[in-house]
Amino acid sequence: MANANNFVPTNQLRNLRACMVCSIVKTENQFKSQGCPNCESFLQLRGEDEQVRACTSQVFEGLITVSNTTKSWVARWQRLEGYVPGVYAVQVEGLLPEDVISAAEDAGVHYIPRDGSVNEALPTDA
Amino acid sequence: MSDYESDGEDFNPQPEVDEDDVAPRNDRMPAIDDDEDDAPEEAGEENEEDDEDEEDEEDEEDEVVTRPKKRKKLMRRNQFIEEEAEVDEDEDEEEDENDDFADEVHPDDLLEATQADLDDRHHRELDNRRQAEQNMDAEEVARAMDEKYRRREMMSARRSAAGTVPTSQPTVDDPSIWVLKCRPGKEREVIMSIMKRIDERLRYGRPCHVYSAFERGGSMSGYIYVEADAKQDMMAIVDGVIHLFLGTQPLSIEVKERPDLLRKRKRTTLEPGKFVRVARGPYKGDLAKIYEVSENGISCTLQIVPRLDYGLNEDANAADGGKRKRPAFGRVTDRPPQKLFSEADAKKRHASKMRMIGGGNQRTIEYKGEQYVGGFLYKEHNVNAVSAENVNPRMEELQWFATPTTDGADGMDLLAVQAAQKAGQSGSNFVAGDNVEVYDGEQKGLKGTTVTSKGDIVTIRVTEGDLKGRQIDTPVRTLRKLFRDGDHVKVIGGSKYIDEVGMITKIRDDKITLLCDSTQTEITVFSKDLKRAADSATIGPNSQFDLFDLVQIDASTVGCVIKVDREVLRVLDQQNEVRTLLHTQVSGIVGRNNRAVATDRDGSEIRNDDSVKEHGGENRTGKVIYIHRGQLFVQNREYNENSGVFVTRSTNVVTMAAKSGRAQVGGPDLSGINPALQQPNGGPGAMAPPQTRTFGRDRMIGKTVTVRKGPYKGLLGIVKDTMNDEARIELHTKNKQISIKKDLLTVKDPITGNSTDLGGKFPNRSRGGYGGATPYNGGGGGRTPAWGGASRNGPSWGGATPAAGGGGGGRTPAWGGGGGRTPGWGGGDGSRTAYGGATAYGGATAYGGATAYGGNDGSGTSYGGFNSGSRTPAWGAGAASSSSKSTSNLSAPTPAAYSAPTPGGYGAYSAPTPGGPPLDAPTPGNYSAPTPGNYSAPTPGDYYTTPAAAPTPGAWGGDEDPRYD
Repeated sequence: MANANNFVPTNQLRNLRACMVCSIVKTENQFKSQGCPNCESFLQLRGEDEQVRACTSQVFEGLITVSNTTKSWVARWQRLEGYVPGVYAVQVEGLLPEDVISAAEDAGVHYIPRDGSVNEALPTDA
Repeated sequence: MSDYESDGEDFNPQPEVDEDDVAPRNDRMPAIDDDEDDAPEEAGEENEEDDEDEEDEEDEEDEVVTRPKKRKKLMRRNQFIEEEAEVDEDEDEEEDENDDFADEVHPDDLLEATQADLDDRHHRELDNRRQAEQNMDAEEVARAMDEKYRRREMMSARRSAAGTVPTSQPTVDDPSIWVLKCRPGKEREVIMSIMKRIDERLRYGRPCHVYSAFERGGSMSGYIYVEADAKQDMMAIVDGVIHLFLGTQPLSIEVKERPDLLRKRKRTTLEPGKFVRVARGPYKGDLAKIYEVSENGISCTLQIVPRLDYGLNEDANAADGGKRKRPAFGRVTDRPPQKLFSEADAKKRHASKMRMIGGGNQRTIEYKGEQYVGGFLYKEHNVNAVSAENVNPRMEELQWFATPTTDGADGMDLLAVQAAQKAGQSGSNFVAGDNVEVYDGEQKGLKGTTVTSKGDIVTIRVTEGDLKGRQIDTPVRTLRKLFRDGDHVKVIGGSKYIDEVGMITKIRDDKITLLCDSTQTEITVFSKDLKRAADSATIGPNSQFDLFDLVQIDASTVGCVIKVDREVLRVLDQQNEVRTLLHTQVSGIVGRNNRAVATDRDGSEIRNDDSVKEHGGENRTGKVIYIHRGQLFVQNREYNENSGVFVTRSTNVVTMAAKSGRAQVGGPDLSGINPALQQPNGGPGAMAPPQTRTFGRDRMIGKTVTVRKGPYKGLLGIVKDTMNDEARIELHTKNKQISIKKDLLTVKDPITGNSTDLGGKFPNRSRGGYGGATPYNGGGGGRTPAWGGASRNGPSWGGATPAAGGGGGGRTPAWGGGGGRTPGWGGGDGSRTAYGGATAYGGATAYGGATAYGGNDGSGTSYGGFNSGSRTPAWGAGAASSSSKSTSNLSAPTPAAYSAPTPGGYGAYSAPTPGGPPLDAPTPGNYSAPTPGNYSAPTPGDYYTTPAAAPTPGAWGGDEDPRYD
């Protein structure tokens, strides 16, 4: 898992997008060619331009590189546990389309927006 | 349903199973699996289940338990049973039959019963084999449960990643977080570099004790944070990363501060119609209105007032396709002012870059790839590039977006303004003692008075209801101020009406209408912007404009301020139209030019502070407060309209009283002819030299000039405009206009490149005229010799004249008259006056000195004329000795001739001639006219005809243009 190339060269930094579900950051082309390593099962981004544009956002803030999602408190705080090591965003703006949210719920992922609209320090009802 | 039923059988207490003797064991396992697949539902119940476990244990303690070991196993199953029992309760018909134990009895009891009370039930026929099987089944179930729980654990791990479980607070056991400095703006690059290094380590299977690294960009620019077990681990990774500064020792972040590092900032939601500011790009800082927000919330379309120059400042010589120019770092390039899109301007140069889409009201113009509708630019922006906080739109900005409302009252959408200002709302609007009401939230309807306000929390003391007397903290946004009809209030913010004071006349929701004390008009504002007021209004004390200031509206328009409001000025412009302007639209105060002079319809001059009366029309009277290019701004406090100011043409008024008691042209000014009034050397002779003031269009405008001095020395340009002693020059070399003193300019002939003299020439000329009286550029001068009739050749007057004089001493006066008239004539051609004509007089009387008129305008003109004129009679008297007849002839007509034409002729010119026109004007005009006419024809032969010809003056007087032949 860790051998995926997470490095993005400087000239590509402007093309970065973040997955609105897991907040992983990749370039638009990477999303298109590889999909989202965490959410591919229900987002199905691979090869779907439209889907990539709908489910990932170029508006995000804070870049985190995580090498170990269980040991890192940062990863836990960011709800990245169990995800692949890689680059994530602290905050991702954008609204996921309704059908994608329900698809995520169906896949057993409880979707919490990562745009700061939910106070995560508090427990939420499942 | 069937699933549930089978579940019910499975999970119900054993006795039931025994009793019904249903489904073979094999059937049950799939059923269980089905159930487990229904993950979300179970997930939801996990917590409850845990609780149940505890309860179960308590229950068990209560009971007397015989076989703890087995119970342990059963317990696991019980949990399972419990859960399913809950599910089944609602729907399971079967259970109705077994109510007694299925519903009422605790599952544990039931389980006990399965063992202990089998005999008591009708299940006792179940044989041992089945019993064993049942037990075995239970074990299987347990195993299944086990599996299921493992899966649940996995699930919960996944869920925790998705955030169901509250995020964990950091503890001391977690890795430390260090802060490192880096080059601001390069945070992401640094993170990527660290990512690369971590990747490499992991790829080679080496342990990596750096768990994460992050940056927060804008808010914490210049810092990155690294999470690692130990400092050495961190240093091993980050050492040598470009843009990272390791000069200072990395600091470890306190445990309790760590969550703050990752705090998320909730973005204010963007809604169509809201006002925002553009955060980046060419429109940075500009106010914009949200037109629509994209579905995914990432971008929005903004309505912006364009800043376009339509390519007018483009450098035509710029190399095509060259590198895109970037402005030097930190320098803000000038950008064109905000202006609605103009199709005509765009067509001038960029017609090819324009495209029309649609028609009618919705016509969209695409210009340089951007869309314009109704003059506005509609452009999509990232929500990143938009700031919805602290928008604080200013009045003049909002003006662009003002759409006329149906009632046409304000033209401003109060709601939109409110939306724009919502963001900036804070408790500062509330002052201790305000009556307030909570209009939203849990405490809706509560009324009280404010005690303190801090940030956006206001403490109020409740004055009504159950909570009376209690102090409560409420957020500002749920509060509104309460006022009653008739309250005297002051506007303390939020609109252009700030500081207005008035009485409340109408209250509707939180919009309050009040009658202003100062203007007696009704205005509507939000209640939050009001406070109770005892004081009275002060009108815009901070305006830089005063009432009755003369202000520049645009390059060609001035106006007089007739009302100063907080936001706007009402200005009466020179076309007598009232304009309402924002303070910012007025470029400046012109001020009063005390030397400005105008002429009234009688030709007498008008200056500031003179009293004038309109001729015709309304016959208004008033005091002149400004003179601007023939327009008078007249004030009369008795008129109400426009604060008593009106504008009229100077030629449309009659002077009633001049401020300084200057001589008025009520009739002819005779003082000039009265020798007694003449001082030997004073008076006109000693009069100030002609002023160099110029009037009308500056002749320098449009001339090609070079700069003689300063940084632009040697550069060639064209004068575009002049002010006082400065000129604006458009340089040939650069597309640039500079301001430079006129003194430093040399006028060049655009073709030959030779220097020409412009301004300086005229004084010279006039002087020449004075001294030798020699060169004449005036038509009169040129003609004079011929006219002399004596066929004197010679430009020199000195020579010619005496001869003429000699021709007839008696005639001389007439001659002199000829000279004298010149000025009048010159008056017709103010700019070019040298009047030789006046000069020479036969015999003893050389008037050469008297003659020349050099000024480039009327003011310069008249001296010589004056002299000759005024003296003429005297001189004439002297001449009488030689030929008394002629003299008498002459002298007689003179005064008469005087009166009539002079003032008129002069009057036409008088405006520029501050010098003392009344004096000199008359003289020449009259004189000259008659003289030459008479003379030229009859002269040589017949001396005595001259008097006879005296009537000619009349003929002459009518004709302004001298004809000498």
